Amino acid sequence: MLPAVITVIAVIFGIVIIVVLIAIGIYNSIVSLRNQVDNSWSQIDVQLRKRYDLIPNLVETVKGYAKHERETLEKVISARQMGIEAKTVKDQAKAENMITETLKSLFALSENYPNLKADQHFSRLMEQLNGIESNIAYSRQFYNDMVMKLNTRIQTFPGNMFARMFNFTTRDYFEIGEAAAREPVKVQF
Amino acid sequence: MYEQIASNRAKTVFIIIGFIIFITAVGFAVGYYVDYRYGINRSNSILFMAFALILAIIMSFSSYYYSDKIVLSLTRARPISREEDPRIYYMVEGLTIAAGLPMPKIYAIEDEGMNAFATGRNPKNSVLVFTRGLLNNLNDEELKGVISHELSHIKNYDILLGTIIVILVGMVTIISNIILRSFIFGGRGRRSDRSSGGNLITLIFLVVGIALLILSPIIATLIRLAISRNREFLADSTGALVSRYPAGLANALRKISSHSEVKTANSATAHLFIANPIGGKSKAFFSNLFSTHPSTEERIKRLESMSLGIGVK
Repeated sequence: MLPAVITVIAVIFGIVIIVVLIAIGIYNSIVSLRNQVDNSWSQIDVQLRKRYDLIPNLVETVKGYAKHERETLEKVISARQMGIEAKTVKDQAKAENMITETLKSLFALSENYPNLKADQHFSRLMEQLNGIESNIAYSRQFYNDMVMKLNTRIQTFPGNMFARMFNFTTRDYFEIGEAAAREPVKVQF
Repeated sequence: MYEQIASNRAKTVFIIIGFIIFITAVGFAVGYYVDYRYGINRSNSILFMAFALILAIIMSFSSYYYSDKIVLSLTRARPISREEDPRIYYMVEGLTIAAGLPMPKIYAIEDEGMNAFATGRNPKNSVLVFTRGLLNNLNDEELKGVISHELSHIKNYDILLGTIIVILVGMVTIISNIILRSFIFGGRGRRSDRSSGGNLITLIFLVVGIALLILSPIIATLIRLAISRNREFLADSTGALVSRYPAGLANALRKISSHSEVKTANSATAHLFIANPIGGKSKAFFSNLFSTHPSTEERIKRLESMSLGIGVK
Protein backbone atom coordinates (compact mmCIF):
# COMPACT_ATOMS: atom_id res chain seq x y z
CA MET A 1 0.00 0.00 0.00
CA LEU A 2 2.64 2.43 1.13
CA PRO A 3 4.97 1.96 -1.87
CA ALA A 4 2.04 2.69 -4.21
CA VAL A 5 1.34 5.97 -2.46
CA ILE A 6 4.99 6.92 -2.65
CA THR A 7 5.05 6.12 -6.36
CA VAL A 8 2.02 8.29 -7.03
CA ILE A 9 3.51 11.17 -5.06
CA ALA A 10 6.80 10.78 -6.87
CA VAL A 11 5.09 10.79 -10.26
CA ILE A 12 3.06 13.90 -9.42
CA PHE A 13 6.15 15.57 -8.06
CA GLY A 14 8.04 14.68 -11.21
CA ILE A 15 5.30 16.09 -13.43
CA VAL A 16 5.23 19.30 -11.42
CA ILE A 17 8.99 19.68 -11.79
CA ILE A 18 8.81 19.12 -15.53
CA VAL A 19 6.00 21.64 -15.92
CA VAL A 20 7.92 24.21 -13.88
CA LEU A 21 11.04 23.64 -15.98
CA ILE A 22 9.10 24.07 -19.21
CA ALA A 23 7.51 27.23 -17.84
CA ILE A 24 10.91 28.64 -16.95
CA GLY A 25 12.14 27.82 -20.42
CA ILE A 26 9.25 29.62 -22.12
CA TYR A 27 9.53 32.61 -19.82
CA ASN A 28 13.25 32.91 -20.51
CA SER A 29 12.79 32.54 -24.23
CA ILE A 30 10.31 35.42 -24.27
CA VAL A 31 12.66 37.60 -22.24
CA SER A 32 15.56 36.78 -24.52
CA LEU A 33 13.47 37.55 -27.62
CA ARG A 34 12.43 40.84 -26.07
CA ASN A 35 16.08 41.71 -25.45
CA GLN A 36 16.91 40.80 -29.02
CA VAL A 37 14.20 43.18 -30.22
CA ASP A 38 15.65 45.94 -28.04
CA ASN A 39 19.10 45.22 -29.33
CA SER A 40 18.00 45.25 -32.96
CA TRP A 41 16.21 48.52 -32.31
CA SER A 42 19.45 50.04 -31.09
CA GLN A 43 21.03 48.89 -34.36
CA ILE A 44 18.48 50.97 -36.24
CA ASP A 45 19.11 53.82 -33.84
CA VAL A 46 22.83 53.84 -34.62
CA GLN A 47 22.09 54.25 -38.33
CA LEU A 48 19.47 56.91 -37.70
CA ARG A 49 21.88 58.95 -35.55
CA LYS A 50 24.47 58.78 -38.31
CA ARG A 51 21.94 60.25 -40.67
CA TYR A 52 20.93 62.98 -38.21
CA ASP A 53 24.57 63.96 -37.91
CA LEU A 54 25.01 64.33 -41.65
CA ILE A 55 21.89 66.35 -42.37
CA PRO A 56 22.96 69.76 -40.92
CA ASN A 57 26.17 69.44 -42.89
CA LEU A 58 24.23 68.71 -46.05
CA VAL A 59 21.83 71.59 -45.49
CA GLU A 60 24.73 74.01 -45.05
CA THR A 61 26.36 72.81 -48.24
CA VAL A 62 23.19 73.12 -50.27
CA LYS A 63 22.51 76.58 -48.83
CA GLY A 64 25.78 77.78 -50.27
CA TYR A 65 24.60 77.05 -53.81
CA ALA A 66 20.82 77.17 -53.70
CA LYS A 67 19.65 79.94 -51.43
CA HIS A 68 16.18 80.08 -52.92
CA GLU A 69 15.23 76.55 -51.99
CA ARG A 70 14.46 77.53 -48.43
CA GLU A 71 11.23 75.55 -48.34
CA THR A 72 12.80 72.18 -49.20
CA LEU A 73 15.64 72.77 -46.77
CA GLU A 74 13.27 73.64 -43.97
CA LYS A 75 11.30 70.48 -44.62
CA VAL A 76 14.45 68.41 -44.27
CA ILE A 77 15.35 70.12 -41.01
CA SER A 78 11.91 69.76 -39.50
CA ALA A 79 11.73 66.09 -40.51
CA ARG A 80 15.07 65.53 -38.79
CA GLN A 81 13.78 67.31 -35.69
CA MET A 82 10.71 65.07 -35.74
CA GLY A 83 12.92 62.01 -35.93
CA ILE A 84 15.05 63.10 -32.99
CA GLU A 85 12.00 63.82 -30.85
CA ALA A 86 10.09 60.65 -31.77
CA LYS A 87 9.21 58.49 -28.79
CA THR A 88 7.40 55.50 -30.27
CA VAL A 89 8.34 53.15 -33.07
CA LYS A 90 5.39 54.36 -35.13
CA ASP A 91 6.39 58.03 -34.80
CA GLN A 92 9.98 57.17 -35.53
CA ALA A 93 9.02 55.27 -38.65
CA LYS A 94 6.86 58.15 -39.81
CA ALA A 95 9.62 60.69 -39.24
CA GLU A 96 12.24 58.55 -40.95
CA ASN A 97 10.04 58.07 -43.97
CA MET A 98 9.64 61.82 -44.09
CA ILE A 99 13.40 62.36 -43.91
CA THR A 100 13.89 59.90 -46.75
CA GLU A 101 11.25 61.68 -48.82
CA THR A 102 12.59 65.18 -48.19
CA LEU A 103 16.15 64.08 -48.87
CA LYS A 104 14.98 62.64 -52.14
CA SER A 105 13.44 65.92 -53.18
CA LEU A 106 16.61 67.68 -52.07
CA PHE A 107 18.70 65.46 -54.29
CA ALA A 108 16.25 65.95 -57.14
CA LEU A 109 16.56 69.67 -56.68
CA SER A 110 20.32 69.51 -56.92
CA GLU A 111 19.86 68.59 -60.57
CA ASN A 112 19.03 72.24 -61.22
CA TYR A 113 22.32 73.47 -59.75
CA PRO A 114 25.29 72.17 -61.74
CA ASN A 115 27.73 73.85 -59.37
CA LEU A 116 26.20 72.09 -56.41
CA LYS A 117 26.29 68.76 -58.23
CA ALA A 118 29.92 69.27 -59.04
CA ASP A 119 30.77 70.04 -55.41
CA GLN A 120 33.02 67.29 -54.04
CA HIS A 121 31.73 67.68 -50.54
CA PHE A 122 28.13 67.42 -51.69
CA SER A 123 28.66 64.28 -53.73
CA ARG A 124 30.49 62.64 -50.85
CA LEU A 125 27.64 63.48 -48.49
CA MET A 126 25.16 62.10 -50.97
CA GLU A 127 27.13 58.88 -51.21
CA GLN A 128 27.28 58.53 -47.44
CA LEU A 129 23.58 59.19 -47.10
CA ASN A 130 22.80 56.56 -49.70
CA GLY A 131 24.93 54.06 -47.80
CA ILE A 132 23.18 54.87 -44.53
CA GLU A 133 19.84 54.63 -46.27
CA SER A 134 20.47 51.04 -47.29
CA ASN A 135 21.88 50.19 -43.86
CA ILE A 136 18.69 51.54 -42.34
CA ALA A 137 16.75 49.22 -44.63
CA TYR A 138 18.87 46.24 -43.54
CA SER A 139 18.59 47.04 -39.85
CA ARG A 140 14.87 47.53 -40.26
CA GLN A 141 14.68 44.08 -41.82
CA PHE A 142 16.51 42.57 -38.84
CA TYR A 143 14.37 44.49 -36.36
CA ASN A 144 11.15 43.40 -38.03
CA ASP A 145 12.32 39.78 -38.12
CA MET A 146 12.93 39.93 -34.39
CA VAL A 147 9.60 41.63 -33.72
CA MET A 148 7.86 38.94 -35.71
CA LYS A 149 9.50 36.23 -33.63
CA LEU A 150 8.58 37.95 -30.37
CA ASN A 151 5.02 38.68 -31.41
CA THR A 152 4.47 35.15 -32.64
CA ARG A 153 5.77 33.75 -29.37
CA ILE A 154 3.55 36.07 -27.36
CA GLN A 155 0.42 35.50 -29.41
CA THR A 156 0.58 31.73 -29.73
CA PHE A 157 -0.04 29.12 -27.06
CA PRO A 158 1.48 28.72 -24.49
CA GLY A 159 3.35 32.00 -24.77
CA ASN A 160 0.11 33.96 -24.66
CA MET A 161 -0.57 32.74 -21.11
CA PHE A 162 2.80 34.03 -19.95
CA ALA A 163 2.33 37.26 -21.84
CA ARG A 164 -0.85 37.93 -19.92
CA MET A 165 0.63 36.86 -16.60
CA PHE A 166 3.87 38.82 -16.86
CA ASN A 167 2.68 41.68 -19.02
CA PHE A 168 4.75 40.97 -22.10
CA THR A 169 3.42 43.10 -24.92
CA THR A 170 3.78 42.79 -28.67
CA ARG A 171 5.99 45.33 -30.41
CA ASP A 172 5.28 47.51 -33.42
CA TYR A 173 6.90 46.84 -36.76
CA PHE A 174 9.07 49.52 -38.27
CA GLU A 175 7.02 50.12 -41.38
CA ILE A 176 7.88 51.88 -44.58
CA GLY A 177 5.35 54.42 -45.73
CA GLU A 178 6.20 54.78 -49.34
CA ALA A 179 4.10 52.70 -51.75
CA ALA A 180 6.95 51.79 -54.07
CA ALA A 181 9.23 50.58 -51.29
CA ARG A 182 6.43 48.58 -49.80
CA GLU A 183 6.15 46.33 -52.80
CA PRO A 184 6.91 42.89 -51.38
CA VAL A 185 9.68 40.63 -52.46
CA LYS A 186 8.07 37.25 -52.56
CA VAL A 187 9.94 34.59 -50.66
CA GLN A 188 8.64 31.14 -50.09
CA PHE A 189 10.21 28.60 -47.78
CA MET B 1 18.61 27.63 -35.89
CA TYR B 2 19.49 27.20 -32.23
CA GLU B 3 19.37 23.44 -32.60
CA GLN B 4 21.80 23.82 -35.46
CA ILE B 5 24.21 25.82 -33.29
CA ALA B 6 23.93 23.35 -30.42
CA SER B 7 24.47 20.40 -32.73
CA ASN B 8 27.52 22.04 -34.29
CA ARG B 9 29.02 22.68 -30.88
CA ALA B 10 28.32 19.11 -29.80
CA LYS B 11 29.88 17.74 -32.97
CA THR B 12 32.94 19.92 -32.46
CA VAL B 13 33.43 18.53 -28.97
CA PHE B 14 32.87 15.02 -30.32
CA ILE B 15 35.50 15.51 -33.04
CA ILE B 16 38.00 16.90 -30.54
CA ILE B 17 37.48 13.96 -28.17
CA GLY B 18 37.76 11.52 -31.08
CA PHE B 19 40.97 13.21 -32.13
CA ILE B 20 42.47 13.00 -28.64
CA ILE B 21 41.57 9.33 -28.39
CA PHE B 22 43.05 8.61 -31.79
CA ILE B 23 46.34 10.37 -31.09
CA THR B 24 46.63 8.74 -27.68
CA ALA B 25 45.97 5.32 -29.20
CA VAL B 26 48.59 5.94 -31.85
CA GLY B 27 51.03 6.96 -29.12
CA PHE B 28 50.31 3.76 -27.28
CA ALA B 29 50.68 1.66 -30.41
CA VAL B 30 53.98 3.26 -31.31
CA GLY B 31 55.24 2.74 -27.77
CA TYR B 32 54.09 -0.84 -27.86
CA TYR B 33 55.85 -1.37 -31.12
CA VAL B 34 59.08 0.12 -29.74
CA ASP B 35 58.79 -2.17 -26.71
CA TYR B 36 58.23 -5.10 -28.97
CA ARG B 37 61.16 -4.40 -31.24
CA TYR B 38 63.77 -3.17 -28.82
CA GLY B 39 62.37 -4.46 -25.57
CA ILE B 40 64.84 -2.58 -23.37
CA ASN B 41 62.34 -1.46 -20.80
CA ARG B 42 58.66 -2.19 -20.98
CA SER B 43 57.27 1.20 -20.02
CA ASN B 44 57.58 2.77 -23.45
CA SER B 45 53.93 2.26 -24.34
CA ILE B 46 52.76 4.22 -21.28
CA LEU B 47 55.36 6.91 -21.81
CA PHE B 48 54.46 7.35 -25.46
CA MET B 49 50.77 7.34 -24.63
CA ALA B 50 51.12 10.06 -21.99
CA PHE B 51 53.19 12.14 -24.34
CA ALA B 52 50.66 11.69 -27.14
CA LEU B 53 47.79 12.59 -24.82
CA ILE B 54 49.42 15.86 -23.79
CA LEU B 55 50.30 16.61 -27.38
CA ALA B 56 46.75 15.90 -28.52
CA ILE B 57 45.26 18.19 -25.89
CA ILE B 58 47.62 20.98 -26.81
CA MET B 59 46.85 20.48 -30.49
CA SER B 60 43.11 20.54 -29.87
CA PHE B 61 43.32 23.76 -27.91
CA SER B 62 45.51 25.47 -30.42
CA SER B 63 43.35 24.27 -33.28
CA TYR B 64 40.35 25.87 -31.57
CA TYR B 65 42.12 29.21 -31.40
CA TYR B 66 44.33 29.16 -34.47
CA SER B 67 42.75 26.89 -37.05
CA ASP B 68 41.17 29.84 -38.85
CA LYS B 69 44.60 31.40 -39.28
CA ILE B 70 46.01 28.12 -40.50
CA VAL B 71 43.19 27.76 -43.00
CA LEU B 72 43.73 31.30 -44.22
CA SER B 73 47.41 30.73 -44.78
CA LEU B 74 46.79 27.29 -46.34
CA THR B 75 44.57 28.89 -48.95
CA ARG B 76 46.90 31.93 -49.33
CA ALA B 77 44.18 34.39 -48.41
CA ARG B 78 45.19 37.93 -47.50
CA PRO B 79 43.17 40.68 -45.84
CA ILE B 80 41.69 43.38 -48.02
CA SER B 81 41.06 46.87 -46.72
CA ARG B 82 38.02 49.07 -47.07
CA GLU B 83 39.96 51.43 -49.34
CA GLU B 84 40.96 48.62 -51.66
CA ASP B 85 37.45 47.35 -52.24
CA PRO B 86 34.73 49.59 -50.81
CA ARG B 87 32.05 47.71 -52.74
CA ILE B 88 32.47 44.44 -50.86
CA TYR B 89 32.75 46.19 -47.51
CA TYR B 90 29.63 48.14 -48.18
CA MET B 91 27.66 45.01 -49.07
CA VAL B 92 28.96 42.88 -46.21
CA GLU B 93 28.23 45.67 -43.76
CA GLY B 94 24.62 45.91 -44.84
CA LEU B 95 24.00 42.19 -44.81
CA THR B 96 25.63 41.68 -41.42
CA ILE B 97 23.21 44.26 -40.07
CA ALA B 98 20.32 42.35 -41.63
CA ALA B 99 21.61 39.07 -40.21
CA GLY B 100 22.31 40.61 -36.81
CA LEU B 101 25.99 39.65 -36.84
CA PRO B 102 29.15 41.58 -35.98
CA MET B 103 31.28 42.67 -38.92
CA PRO B 104 33.62 39.85 -40.04
CA LYS B 105 37.11 40.40 -41.43
CA ILE B 106 37.34 40.25 -45.20
CA TYR B 107 40.06 38.34 -47.05
CA ALA B 108 40.73 37.66 -50.70
CA ILE B 109 42.44 34.83 -52.57
CA GLU B 110 44.18 35.94 -55.74
CA ASP B 111 42.69 33.28 -57.95
CA GLU B 112 40.63 33.61 -61.08
CA GLY B 113 38.33 30.77 -60.04
CA MET B 114 35.05 31.86 -58.44
CA ASN B 115 34.59 30.66 -54.90
CA ALA B 116 34.16 31.79 -51.31
CA PHE B 117 34.19 30.46 -47.76
CA ALA B 118 33.89 31.57 -44.17
CA THR B 119 36.05 30.55 -41.25
CA GLY B 120 36.61 31.37 -37.58
CA ARG B 121 35.50 29.99 -34.24
CA ASN B 122 32.48 32.23 -33.55
CA PRO B 123 30.70 35.21 -35.10
CA LYS B 124 32.96 37.65 -33.26
CA ASN B 125 36.07 36.01 -34.68
CA SER B 126 34.95 35.28 -38.19
CA VAL B 127 36.48 35.82 -41.59
CA LEU B 128 34.88 35.95 -45.01
CA VAL B 129 37.10 34.89 -47.88
CA PHE B 130 36.38 35.59 -51.55
CA THR B 131 38.42 34.76 -54.60
CA ARG B 132 39.38 37.58 -56.92
CA GLY B 133 37.45 35.87 -59.71
CA LEU B 134 34.29 35.96 -57.63
CA LEU B 135 34.64 39.63 -56.77
CA ASN B 136 35.30 40.52 -60.40
CA ASN B 137 32.66 38.45 -62.13
CA LEU B 138 29.53 38.58 -59.98
CA ASN B 139 27.07 41.45 -60.06
CA ASP B 140 25.76 43.04 -56.88
CA GLU B 141 22.72 40.81 -56.43
CA GLU B 142 24.74 37.64 -56.98
CA LEU B 143 27.49 38.74 -54.64
CA LYS B 144 24.92 39.59 -51.98
CA GLY B 145 23.54 36.07 -52.38
CA VAL B 146 26.99 34.57 -51.80
CA ILE B 147 27.68 36.85 -48.81
CA SER B 148 24.38 35.94 -47.16
CA HIS B 149 25.12 32.26 -47.69
CA GLU B 150 28.48 32.65 -45.95
CA LEU B 151 26.98 34.78 -43.19
CA SER B 152 24.52 32.02 -42.39
CA HIS B 153 27.43 29.59 -42.06
CA ILE B 154 28.82 32.02 -39.49
CA LYS B 155 25.50 32.37 -37.74
CA ASN B 156 25.01 28.59 -37.53
CA TYR B 157 28.54 27.99 -36.20
CA ASP B 158 29.23 25.83 -39.24
CA ILE B 159 32.52 27.70 -39.44
CA LEU B 160 33.71 26.37 -36.08
CA LEU B 161 33.10 22.73 -36.97
CA GLY B 162 34.28 23.07 -40.55
CA THR B 163 37.51 24.81 -39.60
CA ILE B 164 38.37 22.50 -36.72
CA ILE B 165 37.82 19.55 -39.02
CA VAL B 166 40.32 20.90 -41.51
CA ILE B 167 43.04 20.77 -38.90
CA LEU B 168 42.17 17.77 -36.76
CA VAL B 169 40.93 15.41 -39.43
CA GLY B 170 43.72 16.58 -41.70
CA MET B 171 46.24 15.78 -39.00
CA VAL B 172 44.79 12.32 -38.48
CA THR B 173 45.05 11.64 -42.19
CA ILE B 174 48.67 12.73 -42.27
CA ILE B 175 49.66 10.72 -39.19
CA SER B 176 47.97 7.57 -40.36
CA ASN B 177 49.58 7.92 -43.76
CA ILE B 178 53.02 8.23 -42.20
CA ILE B 179 52.53 5.23 -39.95
CA LEU B 180 50.96 3.12 -42.66
CA ARG B 181 53.89 3.78 -44.92
CA SER B 182 56.47 3.01 -42.28
CA PHE B 183 54.63 -0.22 -41.54
CA ILE B 184 54.54 -1.26 -45.15
CA PHE B 185 58.08 -0.26 -46.11
CA GLY B 186 59.91 -0.43 -42.81
CA GLY B 187 58.72 -3.05 -40.40
CA ARG B 188 58.58 -6.22 -42.43
CA GLY B 189 61.75 -8.26 -42.70
CA ARG B 190 63.32 -7.57 -39.35
CA ARG B 191 60.51 -9.00 -37.32
CA SER B 192 61.64 -12.53 -38.15
CA ASP B 193 64.78 -11.80 -36.17
CA ARG B 194 62.88 -12.38 -33.00
CA SER B 195 62.31 -16.01 -32.30
CA SER B 196 59.24 -16.22 -30.10
CA GLY B 197 58.04 -12.63 -29.79
CA GLY B 198 55.01 -12.94 -32.06
CA ASN B 199 52.43 -13.99 -29.55
CA LEU B 200 48.72 -13.71 -30.09
CA ILE B 201 48.18 -10.38 -28.30
CA THR B 202 50.80 -8.63 -30.40
CA LEU B 203 49.24 -10.03 -33.52
CA ILE B 204 45.78 -8.78 -32.55
CA PHE B 205 47.23 -5.38 -31.76
CA LEU B 206 48.91 -5.17 -35.09
CA VAL B 207 45.86 -6.28 -37.03
CA VAL B 208 43.50 -3.89 -35.24
CA GLY B 209 46.01 -1.08 -35.50
CA ILE B 210 46.58 -1.56 -39.18
CA ALA B 211 42.85 -1.86 -39.83
CA LEU B 212 42.26 1.41 -37.98
CA LEU B 213 45.03 3.14 -39.84
CA ILE B 214 43.71 1.98 -43.19
CA LEU B 215 40.21 3.03 -42.26
CA SER B 216 41.03 6.42 -40.83
CA PRO B 217 41.43 8.27 -44.14
CA ILE B 218 38.09 6.83 -45.21
CA ILE B 219 36.53 7.86 -41.91
CA ALA B 220 38.03 11.29 -42.34
CA THR B 221 36.43 11.61 -45.75
CA LEU B 222 33.10 10.45 -44.41
CA ILE B 223 33.25 13.02 -41.62
CA ARG B 224 33.89 15.77 -44.12
CA LEU B 225 30.97 14.57 -46.22
CA ALA B 226 28.65 14.30 -43.29
CA ILE B 227 29.22 17.82 -42.16
CA SER B 228 29.09 19.58 -45.44
CA ARG B 229 26.27 18.52 -47.74
CA ASN B 230 23.13 19.33 -45.78
CA ARG B 231 24.83 22.35 -44.39
CA GLU B 232 25.06 23.86 -47.85
CA PHE B 233 21.32 23.51 -48.41
CA LEU B 234 20.61 24.98 -45.01
CA ALA B 235 22.96 27.91 -45.56
CA ASP B 236 21.36 28.48 -48.98
CA SER B 237 17.92 28.84 -47.48
CA THR B 238 18.96 30.85 -44.41
CA GLY B 239 21.04 33.00 -46.70
CA ALA B 240 18.01 33.64 -48.89
CA LEU B 241 16.19 34.75 -45.76
CA VAL B 242 18.89 37.33 -45.09
CA SER B 243 19.21 38.68 -48.62
CA ARG B 244 15.45 38.28 -49.31
CA TYR B 245 16.41 37.44 -52.86
CA PRO B 246 16.99 33.72 -53.45
CA ALA B 247 17.45 34.26 -57.19
CA GLY B 248 20.65 36.23 -56.48
CA LEU B 249 22.34 33.19 -55.00
CA ALA B 250 20.83 30.88 -57.62
CA ASN B 251 22.27 32.98 -60.43
CA ALA B 252 25.59 33.22 -58.61
CA LEU B 253 25.78 29.44 -58.22
CA ARG B 254 25.06 28.99 -61.90
CA LYS B 255 27.94 31.32 -62.77
CA ILE B 256 30.25 29.79 -60.17
CA SER B 257 29.55 26.16 -60.99
CA SER B 258 31.66 26.03 -64.13
CA HIS B 259 34.57 28.07 -62.74
CA SER B 260 34.78 27.14 -59.08
CA GLU B 261 38.31 25.74 -59.13
CA VAL B 262 40.71 27.28 -56.63
CA LYS B 263 44.38 26.34 -56.98
CA THR B 264 45.20 26.71 -53.30
CA ALA B 265 42.34 24.50 -52.13
CA ASN B 266 42.80 20.80 -51.40
CA SER B 267 40.80 17.90 -50.09
CA ALA B 268 41.33 19.04 -46.50
CA THR B 269 39.77 22.45 -47.05
CA ALA B 270 37.33 21.67 -49.89
CA HIS B 271 34.31 21.28 -47.63
CA LEU B 272 34.57 24.89 -46.47
CA PHE B 273 33.91 26.40 -49.88
CA ILE B 274 30.53 27.42 -51.26
CA ALA B 275 31.12 25.33 -54.38
CA ASN B 276 33.51 22.44 -54.89
CA PRO B 277 36.94 24.06 -55.41
CA ILE B 278 38.68 20.91 -56.67
CA GLY B 279 38.65 20.20 -60.41
CA GLY B 280 36.49 17.19 -61.21
CA LYS B 281 33.66 18.13 -63.50
CA SER B 282 32.70 14.46 -63.82
CA LYS B 283 29.11 13.79 -62.94
CA ALA B 284 29.63 10.11 -62.24
CA PHE B 285 27.66 8.42 -59.52
CA PHE B 286 30.76 7.68 -57.51
CA SER B 287 32.01 11.24 -57.50
CA ASN B 288 28.56 12.40 -56.46
CA LEU B 289 28.50 9.91 -53.62
CA PHE B 290 31.84 11.05 -52.30
CA SER B 291 31.69 14.73 -53.16
CA THR B 292 31.63 17.26 -50.38
CA HIS B 293 29.07 19.42 -52.11
CA PRO B 294 25.52 18.73 -53.25
CA SER B 295 25.02 19.14 -56.96
CA THR B 296 24.68 22.73 -58.06
CA GLU B 297 21.58 21.96 -60.14
CA GLU B 298 19.84 20.65 -57.05
CA ARG B 299 20.73 23.75 -55.04
CA ILE B 300 19.61 26.08 -57.82
CA LYS B 301 16.36 24.16 -58.14
CA ARG B 302 15.63 24.57 -54.44
CA LEU B 303 16.48 28.26 -54.47
CA GLU B 304 14.31 28.87 -57.50
CA SER B 305 11.38 27.19 -55.85
CA MET B 306 11.82 29.67 -53.00
CA SER B 307 11.91 32.65 -55.30
CA LEU B 308 8.77 31.67 -57.25
CA GLY B 309 10.71 32.43 -60.39
CA ILE B 310 11.27 36.10 -59.56
CA GLY B 311 14.60 37.37 -60.85
CA VAL B 312 15.71 33.98 -62.14
CA LYS B 313 17.79 34.19 -65.28
